[in-house]
Amino acid sequence: MSSFKAHSVLPGFNLALGFTLLYLSLIVLIPLSSLFFKTATLGWGGFYDVATSDRVLASLRVTFTTSFVAAIVNALFGLIVAWVLVRYKFPGKRIIDALVDLPFALPTAVAGITLATLYAPNGWLGQYFAAQDIKVAYTPLGIVVALTFIGLPFVVRTVQPVLADVEAEVEEAAASLGAGRWDVFRRVIFPAIFPALLTGFSLAFARAIGEYGSVIFIAGNMPYISEISPLLIVAKLEQYDYAGATAIAVIMLLLSFSLLLAINALQWWSSNRGAR
Amino acid sequence: MSTPTITRKISTRESTTVTLLLIGVALAYLLLFLGLPLVAVFVEAFKKGWQLYWEALQEPDAWSAIKLTFIAAAIAVPANLVFGVSAAWAIAKFEFKGKSLLITLIDLPFAVSPVVSGLVYVLLFGAQGWFGPWLQAHDIKLLFAVPGIVLATIFVTFPFIARELIPLMQSQGKEEEEAAVSLGASGWQTFYKVTLPNIKWGLLYGVILCNARAMGEFGAVSVVSGHIRGLTNTMPLHVEILYNEYNFVAAFSIASLLALLAVVTLLIKALVEWQAKRSGEPLHHGA
Amino acid sequence: MSITIENLNKNFGSYKALDNINLEVNSGELLALLGPSGCGKTSLLRIIGGMELADSGKLLFHGEDVQQRDARERNVGFVFQHYALFRHMTVFENVAFGLRVKPKKERHNEAEIKRRVHELLNLVQLDFLHDRYPAQLSGGQRQRIALARALAVEPKILLLDEPFGALDAQVRKELRRWLRRLHDELHITSIFVTHDQEEALEVADRVVVMNKGKIEQVGTPDEVYAAPATPFVYKFIGNVNMFHSRDHAPWAAEHGDAVAYVRPHDIDISRIAQDDTALPVEVKLVRAIGSIVRVEVALDSSSEIIQIELSRERFDSAPLVIGDKVFIRPRQFRVFESGVLNELSAA
Repeated sequence: MSSFKAHSVLPGFNLALGFTLLYLSLIVLIPLSSLFFKTATLGWGGFYDVATSDRVLASLRVTFTTSFVAAIVNALFGLIVAWVLVRYKFPGKRIIDALVDLPFALPTAVAGITLATLYAPNGWLGQYFAAQDIKVAYTPLGIVVALTFIGLPFVVRTVQPVLADVEAEVEEAAASLGAGRWDVFRRVIFPAIFPALLTGFSLAFARAIGEYGSVIFIAGNMPYISEISPLLIVAKLEQYDYAGATAIAVIMLLLSFSLLLAINALQWWSSNRGAR
Repeated sequence: MSTPTITRKISTRESTTVTLLLIGVALAYLLLFLGLPLVAVFVEAFKKGWQLYWEALQEPDAWSAIKLTFIAAAIAVPANLVFGVSAAWAIAKFEFKGKSLLITLIDLPFAVSPVVSGLVYVLLFGAQGWFGPWLQAHDIKLLFAVPGIVLATIFVTFPFIARELIPLMQSQGKEEEEAAVSLGASGWQTFYKVTLPNIKWGLLYGVILCNARAMGEFGAVSVVSGHIRGLTNTMPLHVEILYNEYNFVAAFSIASLLALLAVVTLLIKALVEWQAKRSGEPLHHGA
Repeated sequence: MSITIENLNKNFGSYKALDNINLEVNSGELLALLGPSGCGKTSLLRIIGGMELADSGKLLFHGEDVQQRDARERNVGFVFQHYALFRHMTVFENVAFGLRVKPKKERHNEAEIKRRVHELLNLVQLDFLHDRYPAQLSGGQRQRIALARALAVEPKILLLDEPFGALDAQVRKELRRWLRRLHDELHITSIFVTHDQEEALEVADRVVVMNKGKIEQVGTPDEVYAAPATPFVYKFIGNVNMFHSRDHAPWAAEHGDAVAYVRPHDIDISRIAQDDTALPVEVKLVRAIGSIVRVEVALDSSSEIIQIELSRERFDSAPLVIGDKVFIRPRQFRVFESGVLNELSAA
């Protein structure tokens, strides 16, 4: 008997899996499939026209560059934060540690209006930038600020447990062999946490690409300059251009999936290299 | 010959300067990006005094937005809870083909932009959508109405509880459940008396994160809501409208409630993590 | 309750976990399933307990087919390898579990449950731990609680999966003697799985030696040790020397291409050749281990080491030192055709 499911004495499999599949189909799969059916109504020509229109291309460029920059910022500073939280003791550490998850818990609209207010030319932080003649709010730089905020926990939370698992013995062994502190980090610790760092980076990146709520308040939303793709989808919807909106959504999905696939491949490669 | 002096020091710690520098950078970064915005919400909300803050919250539209937010969460969270438990039961306690594909599909809503999550329901239930004409003919309004908001909320919070429970229940194995069955327990008794007590903290953890997202969701709900004041506005949407009307005090007043929700969420989350650690139940962190 | 297993088969994909198993377990006996990991012993135990289903074959309890019967309805007590104690329940609640989940009309009242649980806890001598949690117990204590929990439902059959596997050596020895005494008191038909030959030989009434999904031999501990049915049993239980007839077993030469299996304590050592088939060897190592002396010798013609065990008295009556040239001859051996499980003769 080569069956779909291995025998088990535990009951409830049919009910649990049946409900799971039904709910998954109704809530996620069927609705998502409508994206592709709707796009199909455009035909290849129509899809190509939407995809290559200047405004769409510009929005994709803005979305992906700002997301990438924000994810890089988060990778760098997230690594430092994770390091500090794992390795050092200092007063208030537990509160700081809990605070890291704020972007998960704070509604994006709240983050959006707050960051816009802070970084506006007359805001708490914006005034200092304005003095240097730098505009943050209502420019792509503002988008980077918002995306950095919402992606902040990802790198910290993926690197933290892996860093805590690096055995002190390995470091001591390296040090006893004459490696300096920087060498130990570069040659022993960093390779061990690199896959986790990459995971955190790609999670932050993926989240940033789709982000809407926190960005639209601070972005200024100037077509061709600071208009992100999710906003363009909303704009098309408001003009009842459902097919156009759907086409952009599909392009975004395809781009993010291929990017994530590439990052996964890189990760697979780097962790296999490290595997003994 | 004199005793040789040890010149090479073994360094398994950074120098004090480097340590302080790293702590300084980390704290500055976190305060700038997390601490300051959190404080700013409350400062902006109380800028014009208690009086205006209080009035802003008592406004009928604000009130109905608060109610709608709670309704949406009150439906979405239990629905995803039932789903999360049954998905985790099937995946963690049984071996079957296509399991890893199923796990990937459950994570799908996280990979989709919130705006797109809303869009798919417009495509299904909108006037030009698959079910649009049928719904219109039967005079059922899903889109730009409460059911659409609830559906979009369910979609974006779909994976939260399942992905918390699946690794937890997988790590606990199924021996305890098998023992219960061999001692004569029924399926329901096994789940209720053996499984549930072992996953209670993970369950609570997932529920709290799910609830925070359900109450705070903006993008998806924005697309399906229609922004009808007093009717289809949730709190985050109401914040947007007030902000765009330059009614900053009112906008930040509502925002301060949501920020409070976030702070409470973080508090409970820390508490649950602490309790789970004490009872030896491994939590799967991150959302 | 007796158990009858007929032509039982179980495959996991293309892997044959159980290959046509036939076995009769007598009522009230304590049986050991012994074999290396992956030999199918745990699969067999789980099939008897109803945790797995066989692909084909029969499983009868007291003559009655139970294959279609759910694990809950087989009246079998199962002790898991890692105990599977309910971590959120006290010791008392763990043992009481099976009584509490009984259908309403069969359920005892609280006082009766209490009495029974304490009786069982006294039986396993751990009543003083009744309000502790599993995490607060030692490995040996958990093991005994797991047993008490399985006994609470008054099973007709008790199944134990590597009951002492996770314990350290000293505790393991104590517990297995304790289990033997307990079985003598209760007389429940019991089957336990182990990969430890010493454990099987010391505790069980009968031992089933398994390898690669097949039963190699069923017998009393004495039988499987003294008269192994196959080369595998010879190698798996106790130490053995192998002599290839062609090279250096003249006393087994009549069988052609065959291998003679000889236990280390079944070899005589002498300064002069006992007869013309005695092998001339050189002593390579002499080591006294407690009450026995282990002597390693090598044939002049090869570098292969032959192990010999002598009692201390025997050794002292004719001491040996490294480098001595002596002769050896087996007192007892069995010959199997090379590579085939075909027994040819026994001396």
